[in-house]
Parts: sequence; C-alpha cells; structure tokens
Amino acid sequence: MNQPVRPDVPPSPTPYAAPPHGVVGQSCGRLDGATKTTGAIKYGADLFWGRAELFVKVVRSEHAHAEVKSIITSEARAVDQVMGVYTHNDMPGTNLQGLILRDHEVLTSGRVRYMGDAIALVVAESEATARLGADAVQVEYEPLPVIDSIESALAKDAYPLYKAGNIMGGKRIRKGNVDEALAGAAVVVTESFETQSVDHAFLDLEAGVACYQDDLLTIEAPGQWVHEERRLIALALGLEPEHIRIIQPATGGAFGGREDISIQIYLGLAALKHPGKTIAMRLDRAESVRARHKRHAMRIEYTLGAKSDGSLTAAKVTVYSDEGAYASTGPAVMRKAASHATGPYRVPNVSVDVYGVHTNNNPTGAMRGFGACQMAIAYEGMMDRLAIKLEMDRFDLRIKNLIQSGDEVTTGQHIQVATAVECAEAAMGKFREVNGGLLVQPDEAHLRRGFGMSVICFGLGYGDGFPDCARARVAFDDAGKAVVYTGGVDVGQGLINMVAQVAADELGLQLDNVRVVAADTALTDESGSSSATRQTYFTGNAVKLAAEEVKEELLDIAGAHLQLHPHEIELTSGFARAIHVPGKEIAIKELVAQGKKRGYKLDQQAQFKPGTLCEDFDTGQSPRSFVTYLFGAHVSQVLVDIETGEVKVERHIACHDVGKAINPQAVRGQITGGVAQGIGMALMEEVISKKGRILNGNFTDYILPTIKDVPHVECIVLENTDPGGPFGARGVGEPPLIGAVPAVLGAIQDATGTAPNILPCTPERVWRMLQDGTNA
Amino acid sequence: MTWHLECTINDAPVTRDIPEDLTLLDFLRDHLGLTGSKGACLEGECGSCTVHLDDAPVCSCLTLAAQAHGRSVCTVEALAESTTLDPIQQAFIDTGAAQCGYCTPGLLMAGRTLLDRTAFPEANHLLTSIEGNLCRCTGYASIIEAIQIAANESKA
Repeated sequence: MNQPVRPDVPPSPTPYAAPPHGVVGQSCGRLDGATKTTGAIKYGADLFWGRAELFVKVVRSEHAHAEVKSIITSEARAVDQVMGVYTHNDMPGTNLQGLILRDHEVLTSGRVRYMGDAIALVVAESEATARLGADAVQVEYEPLPVIDSIESALAKDAYPLYKAGNIMGGKRIRKGNVDEALAGAAVVVTESFETQSVDHAFLDLEAGVACYQDDLLTIEAPGQWVHEERRLIALALGLEPEHIRIIQPATGGAFGGREDISIQIYLGLAALKHPGKTIAMRLDRAESVRARHKRHAMRIEYTLGAKSDGSLTAAKVTVYSDEGAYASTGPAVMRKAASHATGPYRVPNVSVDVYGVHTNNNPTGAMRGFGACQMAIAYEGMMDRLAIKLEMDRFDLRIKNLIQSGDEVTTGQHIQVATAVECAEAAMGKFREVNGGLLVQPDEAHLRRGFGMSVICFGLGYGDGFPDCARARVAFDDAGKAVVYTGGVDVGQGLINMVAQVAADELGLQLDNVRVVAADTALTDESGSSSATRQTYFTGNAVKLAAEEVKEELLDIAGAHLQLHPHEIELTSGFARAIHVPGKEIAIKELVAQGKKRGYKLDQQAQFKPGTLCEDFDTGQSPRSFVTYLFGAHVSQVLVDIETGEVKVERHIACHDVGKAINPQAVRGQITGGVAQGIGMALMEEVISKKGRILNGNFTDYILPTIKDVPHVECIVLENTDPGGPFGARGVGEPPLIGAVPAVLGAIQDATGTAPNILPCTPERVWRMLQDGTNA
Repeated sequence: MTWHLECTINDAPVTRDIPEDLTLLDFLRDHLGLTGSKGACLEGECGSCTVHLDDAPVCSCLTLAAQAHGRSVCTVEALAESTTLDPIQQAFIDTGAAQCGYCTPGLLMAGRTLLDRTAFPEANHLLTSIEGNLCRCTGYASIIEAIQIAANESKA
C-alpha cells in the first residue's frame, strides 16, 4: 500500500487564529433574495390563503381613560357567522402582557387607560362578519380624566392613573460632585429638549395565524424574540410553554415595534376556544397605530459646564419619559437613557435623573435607539450650544472631549476600544473633501445652507446584568449541506445571511452550501431578541463557536483521510486542503459522508453568554454595564427655506465602526436605512394626539421619508476589531439612526442661527422658530 | 351586488363573479392566492400594492377589481419568465435592495414601468417615478442603484 509521503515542512501557524478567509467580509446577496423579489416569500398575512378558517377582530376602547361598567356580548353573538365573543372572563391565564413589566391586561377587566386597550375578542367566519360582531359588542364606560401629557401627569392635582401615582419609576446616575463642579465652571449652558412620539411604521402590518391541535398551540406571527413570546403567551393563557410553538413568518421590518406582543395572545385565545380551526388575525394601519407601542417622548433638561478651554466638567440631566398607559420595557429604556446621558464624552461630574411618567397616551416600548437616541439629541445639542458660547469650533470642542481607548463613560465603564475620534475625523474628512468643507450660500435670499455634526456611542446588548445569551446549532444534513439553527429572527436586517456567512467562513464552505433554520421554537434554541444591536455579536459568536466544533470534527476526519495532522489542513472553498501540499485535498461533502459513516456527529451546539454587571442602584456605576460599545459620527448638510420653514437634507455622511462588516452591503443598508429614519425623526415623523386620541393614524398624515427626502448617504465603515466579537464584528443596527438626528438638527442651527429644541422640525415649527427665535 | 369580471391576470384568462366593492388587491390576494402584492396602508400612500393594469402602474388597493374588466393585470409573480429573473429582480438581489422585502414587489412593478417607458431615465425622473413607494428599511440608496443597474442591463 502506498503511504503518502509527509512533506518536510516547518511548523505551520494554527488555522484557528486565522482571519476570515471565505465569505465573511463579502457582500453576498441575501439568501432570501429570490423569494423576496418574486413574491413567493410568505409574510404573516400571506399565510391566510388556503388556511384561514376563522377570523379575529378585537373591540378596542372608545375612551382614553374610563372605567368599564359593563360589556354586553349577546347581540354580537347573535350576528350571523360569529362563532364566539370573548372577554377577560374567558382568559385562562394571567391575562397580562408586557415585556419587562407585565402591567397590561390582554383583555381589560375594569379600567381602560388608552384608546387601544382591548375589551373583547370576536371570532367569525370572515373578517367582515368579525367586524360586524365587534361593532355589536356594547360597552358601557364611565369616563375618567384624561392625562395626555407629561406636564398634566406631573401637575399637583393630577388624577392618579395608578395607585402609586403617575411616576412609575426612575433611574439615576451620580458621579463626582456636580453642583460643586457647575459652580466652579467657567461656562455653563442650560437647555431643554422635547422629543416626540414616533411610530415604527414597518410596512408589514401585524398579521398571523394560529391553530390548537393535539395539545399544541402553534402561532405563526411576526415578533422579535420567539422564545420570550412563547413564555409570555404561556403565562397569559395559562399554558405550559412546551404546549406552544411559535414560528416566525417572513417579517417586513420591526425596529423594536414587534418586541411587545401584538396579536399573538388574541390568536392563541381564539385557537384554544376553537380547537382544530386555523385562526387568522391582522391589524389594518389605523388599528396598528392606535393599538401599538411607540417611541418614548421625552422632556430633557440639560445643564452642561466646562472650563474656558472647553474641557467638560459637569453634566446635570433630568429626563421625563412619557411611558404612556403601560410601561412594558420602560425601565430598560430609562436605564439606557441614563447610561447614555453624556454620550461618548469625558465628563467627570455627572448627575442624571430619569423619571418614567404614566399618561393616557399609547404604551411605549422599544424602538431603534432605545432611549439612547433621545439622549444623543440632547448631548449633541448641548455641545453645539456650548461651542457657540465658548466661541470654539464645534468639531474641535468635540474632539477635545471625546473618550479615548481606556477612558470611562458615564457609568464608569472603561472602554477598551474607543474609536469616537477616528469616526469623527473620518466623517469630517469626508465632508471637507467638497470645497474644503466651506459651504457656498445659495443666491436666493430665502435659502440658507448649513451643516451639523454628531458623535455618538452605544452600549451593545441588554447590559446592566441582564442575562444575555445566544445559542446556536450547526449540523450537516444528509445532503451534505451545513445547516445553521438559530432562535434569532430575521426581520429584514439580514440575520439569515449573517449566521450563514459566519458558519460558511468557519467551515470553508461556499454560501450556497449552507442553509438556515431560524426562529421556530420547536426547531431552534433560544438566541435572545433581534434588538439592542446584539444579534451579530451574540448569535454570530454562538454560531461561530458551534461551527468551530464541527470544524474540529471535519479536520479530524480529513486528517485520517489525507494522512496529515489536522493542523496541516485548511477548510476552504468546499475542500479540505493540505496547506503545504498542493493538490492534496478532499471535498468537504465527501468528508461529511465519510464522517457520518464513522460515527462523527457533525452536529454541535454552542452558547455565547458574556456577563455584564448591574449598574449600582444609587450611582448607576458599573465596571461593565455593556459587553462592548459602538461608535459613530455623522455630518449633515441642509438647505433651509426661511420663508416656508422647509428643511432639505442635501448631503449626509455617516461613519460607523462596526468592528468587522460580516456583509458590507448589509452594513451599508443598515446605515442608509437608519439615516432615513433619523431624517424622518428630525424633520417629519410625529404621532400627534389630543386627549389620548391619535389624530394622524395613517400614512397620509403620519409623514414618512420618501426617496426624495433622503439624500445619497455617504457611508464610511470602519473596522477596528472588537476583541470579543465574531471575526471582530460588533454590530450596526441602532447607531445610524441615533447619529443622524442630532446632525440634522445641528445643521438647521448652523443654517439659521437658531437652535431647534422641539422635534420634529416640521416646516411650520421651523418657521415659527425663526419668527420667535425659539421653536417652543 | 356582484359583478361579472372577465380579465387577464398574468397572461391567464380569469372569469369570476365578485362583489362590486372588492378591491383589486383583495381580489388578487384573497380570491386568487396571488399574495405577492402587499397591502401596507390601503390608501394609496405606500405603493406596496403596485401592479400593472394594461401596462400602467396602479395602486391595487385603490383600484376596484371590477375596473380590471376586459383589461390585463400583471403582478410581481409574473415578472420572472419561468426560472429566469427579470433584470430588475436580479438587480434588487445583487444590490441588497430587498431588505425586509415588503416594499419590494411594489417597487419592482413601479421600476419595471419606468424602464419600459424610458430607456435612459435621468436621476430626477427615476426618483419621481418611485416617489410613491415607501421603504422603511433601506434609505432608498440600494433601490436607486438596483434600478440604475437594471436600466443599464436593459440598454445592453
């Protein structure tokens, strides 16, 4: 028998330390691209076809605040084709929902606190008859005073929405001695900011199907965290989680708006009441806006002190956050706001108080930016104002105060790799490429041009001691394809490609030899939510760890086959190759077949669970509140029509350090999309309500940025390796929106000489601001 | 009241008795199972439901199915010829223009119309032709790029 001759080679470096050499870093097209462009892919409402047997409609409150005296369902039950009408009395479980605070009844038992509160559920043979049934439910209300703003909630004689009053909680940071530092500061600037209520406005309205059969309740509806949804649904409906299966259909955007349960418990209740039937439910736009959670509107009072050379000495910040009728994720949003109150700046003395305030407005929840977004508007607005007062250049003032690697942020956490300065310099460098950064003012007297900038940071993951964990499984199927199993949901951000590219790179495969099974509680392990900009870091790491285990097996099998030590073999382009013997190779597909015969599992699981430490209750200090930090910087150039108040964003530069772009095209997509949402928040988007009734609950009146509102965004992607990220990657989801808003606001100030402090800067508001010198 | 509808949908003759007030979008989705066309606002603001009615792009949520009588309707499902994608579909995949993908069918139909009518669309013309299509994910950059690539493909 001819034994292969072992070549005489020097010791080779271990392949495990190798940088990505395959599809990580490549702009591979979306694995679901073909089904998304042919209309074949199925979103929630697409599941109705051929399956829906019964339809659900919810009866919602007609009052923003009232005692429900009676609910009469007899007439509704008598409507032709109505199969059932259900109220809180029919709820088998706790009847409560809410992601962090479970403070919101699924079906109201006594008190309605906003106009989306659900009172009854009608199940019928068609959507039309379900609607007729809903109209026939008679509800008797005893109206109560409506608290429709933070101010009215905090008024001395305000009606208490809850026994404990209208303040639901708070969060504080204490660092150094703020009062002393402010007294000794050469310059002090004080300002207040008002940010608005924003709707997520994903296009894919809440819709899904459910069926209860053989003691298993299966719900197919879009969320952001299938395993947590299963727990919440189980509690509300009094089931054991193992009797519930959640399957995520294709999902058309989320932006935090699907973190709170939407239709799932209604679908589940109807399915339990009508076993064996496929139940369908969807919201229309008006109901979605009326019922669903919003971004927290905040009132931010900010005092910033500095030495005469511009060094920041103190920040005193008070924030009132409109939690709406129910707080749900409110405590976490308040924590994030507090810990990001001074952004990426070195401020030795900090005092932050955040208060959550209940009103009869819509409940609030997660939205891209999660409290950090509102704070960036404030701290960057303050930096602009301070620069004017100091007669310093805005950019120089920022550079002077930005944290460097090793410095600490507000929470006292020392940041290992802080690239705020690099981001700021890259963004400004790009801006100065045109005319040296000098703006040419238009000839028309009514037009003013200006530019603004922002530098932001963002703590990634849940942080603050929350157990934050991702799990993944990588296995080879019988056809020799690698399969990645993840509980993470792809809501459009590209999670499917991210996990596939990480696994493919690790296993030396082309992307078409990997498939992904995602977000099905029966088939995948928990991976945490698609939120907090965490999936690339967390699930990316879990997938990489699982793939590394499978790779060890493959190298073992290859070693036996090629008669080489595993360290002398690399997996690349679908082959196991001898590193030092050209042509000596075996197809990975062949290895898989051989390995399976020889009893190798080629099926491994891994979890990634880096710890964080709770912020101290009294001071908000923590050595490691977040696993890692992201940095970004934006420059925005606007043209303001001072006669009409119209603002047009002409140019926008966004620089983000993502650690490593697993898929550069997807990263750019996140950046340009985040900028568009930021422009929307800065200039046009606002949920307007009066006495708790939303006045613009449709896309005609709730204005979203169109293609003509968003300029070509100049993206700069920096890749400073994160020590703990997969292939050095961090993440990108939220920061682009956070950076965009203050840059646009700063540009308006630069163009007009008046700094806006109320959002959004609609033409009317800008016009008024220019008349009065303020935009209050 | 019912209406006797005779029309062509994706090159196939269709004859149905339908309610008079049925929208074209609901007819396509709920009666024919053509779920590619999406409803997101149902008032003509977002363009997700765009289909071709005799080669003109219309919001199918604002069009009655009865208006298709004697006419020809084309939906995203018919954009590809058997297994060959239309250049605009391929361009959307290549540029990453389909992120969540919900606005994609409407944008493809609007973009296809533009390219059918204008061989060399200027930038402003391109923006105006798809101004009625909202996208919440991409910031539009990749969509513009995709349509420009498809335009170049069509020219070649």
